[in-house]
Amino acid sequence: MTQAEFLNPVDWELIVSQVDADFGNGVTRRLSEGLTPVKVPRRSIFSVYLVPEEWVQYIRGEMEDFRLSSLGVWMGDLSSDTFRLSIAIVERLANISENELVVADTGAQAFTYGRSILRESVVSISPESLRRGQRVIVKSEEGDCLGLAALSVDASRIDRLSSDKLVAKNLVDVGWYLRRLG
Amino acid sequence: MSRREVRQRAKELAAKYGYLAYMIERYLVLWGEEETIQFLEACEKTPRTSIRVNTLKADEQSTVRRLEEKGVLLEPIEGVPSGYWADFGDRTPGSLLEYMLGLYYIQSMPSMVVTLMLDPQPDEIVMDMAAAPGGKTTHIAQLMENRGLVIAVEQDRLRIASLESNVYRCGVSCAMVFRGDARKISQMGIAPDRILLDAPCSGEGLLPVDPTRKTSKSMADIRFCATREDELLDAAVRVLKPGGVLVYSTCSIAPEEGEYIVDEVIRRHPDITVVPPDVSLGVEGYTAPYGVEMNPSLRHARRFLPHVHGTEGFFICKLQKEGDDQ
Repeated sequence: MTQAEFLNPVDWELIVSQVDADFGNGVTRRLSEGLTPVKVPRRSIFSVYLVPEEWVQYIRGEMEDFRLSSLGVWMGDLSSDTFRLSIAIVERLANISENELVVADTGAQAFTYGRSILRESVVSISPESLRRGQRVIVKSEEGDCLGLAALSVDASRIDRLSSDKLVAKNLVDVGWYLRRLG
Repeated sequence: MSRREVRQRAKELAAKYGYLAYMIERYLVLWGEEETIQFLEACEKTPRTSIRVNTLKADEQSTVRRLEEKGVLLEPIEGVPSGYWADFGDRTPGSLLEYMLGLYYIQSMPSMVVTLMLDPQPDEIVMDMAAAPGGKTTHIAQLMENRGLVIAVEQDRLRIASLESNVYRCGVSCAMVFRGDARKISQMGIAPDRILLDAPCSGEGLLPVDPTRKTSKSMADIRFCATREDELLDAAVRVLKPGGVLVYSTCSIAPEEGEYIVDEVIRRHPDITVVPPDVSLGVEGYTAPYGVEMNPSLRHARRFLPHVHGTEGFFICKLQKEGDDQ
């Protein structure tokens, strides 16, 4: 049974273009520095992982009775032409990217329940050049990485919104760890 | 007590505490009446909650401070680095943001001791043969400082989800998770430096946390588990690197799943020996359970007992394969 496959350059370029478009040029390269991207097939998607190069020997092996389920750092999932970053990569991303939306306590709690972010919860957003549709790292006031969201409005326009207006849509949050277990 | 008296007394105690009589019979033969009653009484009490602070995500003191600021009462567990007795008050231990952030893992004290006895080192290849839900896998990675390779094997598809969720949550980046029957691990062609086999068992040590266990398993179930445990341990011994370390554990107090298994495997494999652990927690393993003489080295195994330690019951044994040292 095939365990995992190296990511082909076309898929990798797609990932680089999407992640860099959201978080800045060169971010994907820095995220994957010293690591090799591999993919593990799921039903209709591929999960993408970053692994040390010396693991190649284990990835290539044929093992009839074992199926490789995951390995290394889970970067995200790739389906046709869309790449979704995983919750497991957010903290690493936060060390590289400056795109962040800081939310107050109540908003932070709601976000970890899978809710999106309203104007009333926003403490700060940076940089101000962020555009509608762009991904941001959501943080608590204490600096905890809570997940990722997609902006519903340009960062420069947030101050003009009323408190109940949607600012960012929840893409993935740390509550996933609990929800996944049911 | 004569056999007849044991049987009669077992029936009485089984009725009083709600157990199947065969279980009490075994306890009476193993421990005598006084200790059996102490055990049964201890199993009526829920063990204290304990957590392991995950140093892969944050330094220990900052996590302790955060939890204490939220009103969680913490007390270090003596002899268990990063282990704390934890009182969460009215809150569920897994409901805090700090849990979602992977800052701690809710784990029993004996489970932490299992990994400490394995003593994994950075840059080694370590295999966890029955890895879900991931408490010991993540602890191994923590002790290895996320360097090296942890091969986590689990057969149950649903339990893989909990294993992976905990691996991701705790920030483990040095693990490969495989689904498959660990009895066939020789297929992998890997000779690990260390192997942890926390074998699927009858769970007789979990009586304090799972009262349904008082009536849910028969002697045939224990025999079924023992057969599988023997096969798993045999497979582990075969692939372990010469000089390598193997820790075998079960959350069962049954000698049939502990000492009997190890005694049989070291008889079959003269290149494997029971070695003294570096931790002094727990009590010695049995060398003549039910009057059956075992290899005397089994005293080096460690047992955790509800009536002695206030924890769930556990059996842990450290073994080493002949050959070059690590």
